[in-house]
Amino acid sequence: MEELARVLAAAVPEIRPEKKRFQDLVAWLPTRAGEAIPSSPVIGEQPPKRGKAKLRPWIVTAYQTDWSEAVDLLCACSRKRVLAPGIVLGNDLSYWTEGLRFAGALVARQQYLPSIEADEGDFRAVWAPVYLGDDSEVLMQLERTMPPVARALSDIGSPEATGTPAIDRLKTFLKGTLDHLVRLACREEWSVRKKATGTAFESIHDAWFFALRSQDDLIRGDKLELAALAESVCNWARPISVTALSPLRLCFRLEEPSMSEAPKRGRPRSSEESWYVRYLLQPRDDLSLLVPVEDSWSNSVAKSVSRQMTGAKVTEYLLTSLGQASSVCREIAASLKSARPGGFTLDPQGAHDFLTEKALLLRQSGFGVMLPAWWTGKGTKVRLSLSPRVKSPKMKAGSGLSLGEIVQFDWEVAIGDEKMTLQELKSLAALKAPLVSIRGQWVEIDPDHIQTAVDLLSRKAQERVTVRDVVQLALGVKEAPRGLPVEKVKATGWVSTLLKQLEGSSGLVDILPDPAFSGELRPYQLRGLSWLGFLSQWGMGACLADDMGLGKTVQTLALIQRYRRSNGKKPVLLVCPTTVVNNWQKEAFRFTPDLPVLVHHGASRRKGTGFGKEVAKHAMVISSYGLLHRDLKLFQDIHWSGLILDEAQNIKNPETRQAKAARSLNADYRIALTGTPVENNVGDLWSIMEFLNPGFLGSQAEFKRKFFVPIQAERDPQAAERLRRITGPFVLRRLKTDRSIIADLPDKMEMKVFCPLTKEQASLYAAVVKETEEELKSSEGMKRRGLILATLSKLKQVCNHPAHFLGDNSAIPGRSGKLARLTEMLEEVLQIGDRALVFSQFAEMGKLLHEHLQEMFGIEVLYLHGGVTKQNRDRMVERFQDGPDGPSIFVLSLKAGGTGLNLTAANHVFHFDRWWNPAVENQATDRAFRIGQKKNVQVHKFVCAGTLEEKIDEMIEQKKEIAEKIVGAGEGWITELSNKDLKELWKLRKEALGE
Amino acid sequence: MGRWYYRNYYTPAAPREVKGGIKAQTKRGGFGQSWWAKRWIAVLESFNIGARLGRGRAYARRGQVASIAIGKGSVTAAVQGTRSKPYSVAITVKTLSGPEWAKILKALSEQVIFAAKLLAGEMPDDIEDVFRQQNVSLFPVKLKDLQTSCSCPDWSNPCKHIAAVYYVLGEEFDRDPFLIFRLRGMDRDELVKKLGEAHGHRERKEGKLDRGIEKPEPELTSASDPLPEDPDIFWQSLVLARTEEKEVSIPPQSAALIKRLGNFPLWRGREHFVESLERVYSAASPIGLDIYLGK
Repeated sequence: MEELARVLAAAVPEIRPEKKRFQDLVAWLPTRAGEAIPSSPVIGEQPPKRGKAKLRPWIVTAYQTDWSEAVDLLCACSRKRVLAPGIVLGNDLSYWTEGLRFAGALVARQQYLPSIEADEGDFRAVWAPVYLGDDSEVLMQLERTMPPVARALSDIGSPEATGTPAIDRLKTFLKGTLDHLVRLACREEWSVRKKATGTAFESIHDAWFFALRSQDDLIRGDKLELAALAESVCNWARPISVTALSPLRLCFRLEEPSMSEAPKRGRPRSSEESWYVRYLLQPRDDLSLLVPVEDSWSNSVAKSVSRQMTGAKVTEYLLTSLGQASSVCREIAASLKSARPGGFTLDPQGAHDFLTEKALLLRQSGFGVMLPAWWTGKGTKVRLSLSPRVKSPKMKAGSGLSLGEIVQFDWEVAIGDEKMTLQELKSLAALKAPLVSIRGQWVEIDPDHIQTAVDLLSRKAQERVTVRDVVQLALGVKEAPRGLPVEKVKATGWVSTLLKQLEGSSGLVDILPDPAFSGELRPYQLRGLSWLGFLSQWGMGACLADDMGLGKTVQTLALIQRYRRSNGKKPVLLVCPTTVVNNWQKEAFRFTPDLPVLVHHGASRRKGTGFGKEVAKHAMVISSYGLLHRDLKLFQDIHWSGLILDEAQNIKNPETRQAKAARSLNADYRIALTGTPVENNVGDLWSIMEFLNPGFLGSQAEFKRKFFVPIQAERDPQAAERLRRITGPFVLRRLKTDRSIIADLPDKMEMKVFCPLTKEQASLYAAVVKETEEELKSSEGMKRRGLILATLSKLKQVCNHPAHFLGDNSAIPGRSGKLARLTEMLEEVLQIGDRALVFSQFAEMGKLLHEHLQEMFGIEVLYLHGGVTKQNRDRMVERFQDGPDGPSIFVLSLKAGGTGLNLTAANHVFHFDRWWNPAVENQATDRAFRIGQKKNVQVHKFVCAGTLEEKIDEMIEQKKEIAEKIVGAGEGWITELSNKDLKELWKLRKEALGE
Repeated sequence: MGRWYYRNYYTPAAPREVKGGIKAQTKRGGFGQSWWAKRWIAVLESFNIGARLGRGRAYARRGQVASIAIGKGSVTAAVQGTRSKPYSVAITVKTLSGPEWAKILKALSEQVIFAAKLLAGEMPDDIEDVFRQQNVSLFPVKLKDLQTSCSCPDWSNPCKHIAAVYYVLGEEFDRDPFLIFRLRGMDRDELVKKLGEAHGHRERKEGKLDRGIEKPEPELTSASDPLPEDPDIFWQSLVLARTEEKEVSIPPQSAALIKRLGNFPLWRGREHFVESLERVYSAASPIGLDIYLGK
C-alpha cells in the first residue's frame, strides 16, 4: 500500500491518496506453476514454460480513484512508457490514455447530452456521450484493441473471473471521464453550488440542472418525479439516440456531371452541368456495402441492408434520418416530396455550396458524406496561385549582398500548373462561378480571388520589396495581397540562385575547411559545412539534425574556424549540456587546435568585468544550459559571431528560462544541433525555429492556431506541407541509413565519449587517492601490487558510479556523469530504432545498468553475466537478433559476453568502462562488428575526463604498438610504475568536475 | 406520456405562487415559435376573450400551471389560482373518425417528407393542405371541435386558467409535432407504424413490430466475454493500434445537438434551458481539446 501511494504521489502531485480508499481486490491473471506470469520482462522473470497457463485469482492492492484523479493520472501518462524512473506503464494504462483522448475529442466536438440515470434507487445527473457517425467506429475500434488485463479486476470472493465485456468497461470509462471533463467546465460554480446544496429546489428540473453542474451528481428530489423525469429525458433525446445507436448509416455521395462531351480546349465549363447527390445506406459492420436509397424503399431490399434490423426498422431509420438531414439542406427537403426519393440534382453553384458547407453540416450531424477525390476538404488540389517574378542581376562573388537588398517584381497568375493570361482570367471572372472545369479538371475558384488577380495583373507599376520579403513569400511565411496563395516565386539572377539554394534544388557554393583544420571531412560533412556556411552568410539560422555519430561536432568546428578566418575576431558561444562540455573541449583541441577555447564552467569560472576581456582572447566559449540563464548578463554584453546550441532539444519548451535566454542573445549567425528528429514533433518546432529565425512561424499563439492544432487535431495535410515549406530549408537531417551517407561512412567508427564527474564522484575519487598514497609509502612487494590493483579497481568504480563503489544499493539517477551521458545517448539510439550493446567489466555495474535502463526507458533490457545458464544465454541472443519486436539494449559483462557471441543486430557498442587491453575491447566490439553486420557500427568508449581513465587512454593511444605488447597481459604493468608515476597517473585534474 | 404529481403547496398570496410550476420559456411577445404552435394559439385567440388572454399568458409565464396530463383527445391540468386548492382544467378535442384517418394516412404516404419531418421532430410545412384536401381540419377550428371546462368560480369560458393551460400546451407543440395528432386521436407510435407500413412493409404484423421505434436498440453486446488464458494475449504485449486519428475541432456553432433536439418538454427550471446548456458546451470544448492534444 505504501508503495502504491508513493507511486501515485510521484506520478500525479494532485492525488493525495487517502488511506480508506485503498482496498484489496482480486486480479485474475494467467498463472503457471503457481506463479503469475509477468506482463513484461521489465517487471519480472518469465517463469519456465511448463504446462498451460490458467487464470488464477491474485489479491492485489488497489486504490479507488475518483474520475478527477483518474483523468489527472491518465494525463500524466499520456503517450509515455515510463512515468518516472522505475514506474513503467502497463498496456492497460496506455490503453486508457487513448480512451481519455477520445473522451476529450467528444467533449471538444460537443458530442454529448445531459442525461439522468437510475442508480440503486437514486437518480444521478450525467453528461452522456453520443456516438454518431465515425465516432461509433472509433468506439468499436477501441473495443477491439482493449487488452484483456484492462478487465481482469473483480471483487474479493467472486468465484470466477467476471469477464465483463470490453464494450461495457469502455462505455463506463468514457461516460465517467466525459462527465468529469464537462463538469470541469462548470468548476467556477462549484463553491457556490456546494453552499446551495441544502436548499430546496423549485422544480425537479432545477434539481437536475444543479446536479449536472456541481461536483456531486446525485439529484435530490421525489423519487416518483425523478423516474418521470428520467422517462421524459429519454423521450427528449430520442431523435438523436435512434440514429446514434443505429447499425446503419445514411450517406450522401456527390457525383460529377458525366463528361460525355469533351469540352473545347481552353473554354471553361461551368454552367448547365448537373451534379447529383445520391442517397445511400451503409451498414456499420460492412462499410463496403452501399445500397442506393432509391431501391431500399421496397421491403425486400430494405431487409437485406442490415442483419440486425427488420425491413420496417430500416425504413423508420431512413425516414428519421432523411427528416433530420432535410433541415440541414433544403434540396433534401425538396427531394422528399415524392414517394421514393433517391437523391437530387444540383447546378455548379449548388454543388459548390454542397462541397463547402452542406457536406460539413451533414457530416457534423453524423451522416456519411462522399465527395469526389479531387476535393481535399480544404479546397481542391488545383488552385489559383500568384507568382511574383523578380528580376535581379547575376550573383557576383563577394558582392556583399544581403537580405536587405531592394528588388522589383511583377505578379504572374496560374491555375494549377497552367499560366493564365489576363484575357483568360477576365473571361473566368465573368462566369462568376465557384466551380469551373479547366481542361477536364474540376477546380474550385473563389470569384473574388480571380477578380483580385485581374486587378493585380492590370496594374502597371512594379512593386518594390526587400529580398527578405521575397524569401518569406517564397517560403509561405508571408501572404500575397488579400490572402491569395503564393505558389512559387519566379526569379532571375542572384535572387533566383538564393531561392533555389534555400529550397535545395540548386547546389551550394562549396566551402572547404580551413587549412589549419586538422582532420578530414567526409563528403557529406563537406556538404554539411557548405550548408551551414551558406545560411550563416545570409544571417539565417540553421538546425543540423544529423543522426548520432555522423559528426555534427566536426562540421560545426570546421564552420567556426572557417568563419573566424573570414569574419574577424568575434568569438562564438557554444552552449551544451554539462555532460558533453568535456567532449567539445577535447574535440576542438583535436580538430581545430589553433582556436583558443575558453570553458566557462564550474565554480572557478570568470565573472564580472574580467569576463569580457577573457572572452576577447578566445575564438570559442563553451558553456552549459544552466549557466546560459545564470550568467545571462555576461553573455548579453557581448556581440557574438555565432551562437550554437548543442542538443538543442533543451530549448524545445519556449517558456523555460534557458530558451528565453538563448533567444535574447546577439549573434551574427545561429545554429542548433540535435540528434533527435525535431521536424517530426510539431509542438517542439516553434521554440527552436523562433531561436533560429525569429518570426518565421509567427507568435506562439499564431503557430498554435495555424499549424499545431490543424496538424495535430485536424490532420490537415496542407498545414503540414506549409510548415515543411517554411522550416525545411533550415533543417538538415541525414540518416546513417541514407544511401549517399552509407557510402561515405567507414564500416566501423570509434569515438571517445568524455564525461565529467559529479561532485560526489570527485570527492570519493580524491578520498580513495589520498588513502592509497598514505598506505603506499609503507608497502612493498606483493602487498604493494595488491594495493595498486585494488586502487585501480576502486577508482574505476567511482568513475562508473558512486553506488557501484559503495555497493550500498543507494539511489541511481543524478550521481554519475557517465551514466547520465549513456542514458542521453541511448535515448537517441532508441528514438531512431537502433540497437546497442553495453559492456562493463564489472558484473555489479552491469546489474546496476540493467536495472537503471529498464526503469528509465520502461522497456526490456537484456543482461548477460557469468551466472546465466547456456540455455538462457542462447535464448537471449536469439531474441536480441530476431525480429522487429526484440529488446533493443543488451548489457553484457565483458567476461561473459566478450567472446563467441554473434550480436550483429546491434550497430552501437558502448564500452562503459575501459579495459587497458585494446585487444579485449576489440574482441567485445566484434560481437556486433562481424560478418552479417549490414550497418555501420559505432563504438562509443566512455572516459571520465581528468581522471586516470583519460590518462591510461592517452598512454595507450601514444604507444599503441608498444601497448599491444606490454599491456597484453592485463593490468599488471601498472604495478611496476614508480610511486611518482602512479601519483601522476591517478591525479585528479581540474577539468574532471562537471559542476 | 408521463404524468406529474405534486404535493399541495402552502401559498399565502393571490394568485398563490407555485414553486417549480411549468414556466413558459417564451419571455415576451407571442407564444410558440413554430408555425404549428402559433396555429394552436390562434385558435384560442380567435375566441375573443379579451383581458383573460393576457392574464392567462401571465399565469403561464409565472408557472401557475402546476401539472398537466395529455391523453388522446383530452388534456387535464391543475392551475393554481387564488384559492389554496388548484383548479382543475379540462380540454377535450374532437377526435377524427377511422375512415377519416384512413384517407389522411393514404394521402400522407404519397410524399416521404411528411413521415420524415414528423419523425425528425418537425411539423411538415404543408401538412394542413393534405388535411384540407380530404375535407378534414388538423387543428380544431370550430367551437364544437373544442370543449373546455374549469373548476374556478369564473363564469366565462375560456377563463384565464384555461388560457394558461392553452399557452403551456402551445410551447409543448413547438417540441412535439405529434401532440396535435394525439389530441386528434392518433398516438405517435400508431401513426409512425401506419406511415411505415404505407411504404411497403405490410406483410409483418407481429406484436414486436407494433412498438415502432419506441425504445432505442438494445446495447450492442452484453453477454459475458471470458478472459483469455494465454499470457501473450492477456497482456497484449503488442503496441496498441493507435485509434485512427480523426479531425477534432471546436464546432463554430455551440450545442448543436441540443439545438437539434430543441427545448425540453414542459420545462419548469428557473434557467433558460438552451441558453444555460450552451454556456456549458462552450466552456467545455477547450478543455476537451487540450485533453485530446495531451496537454
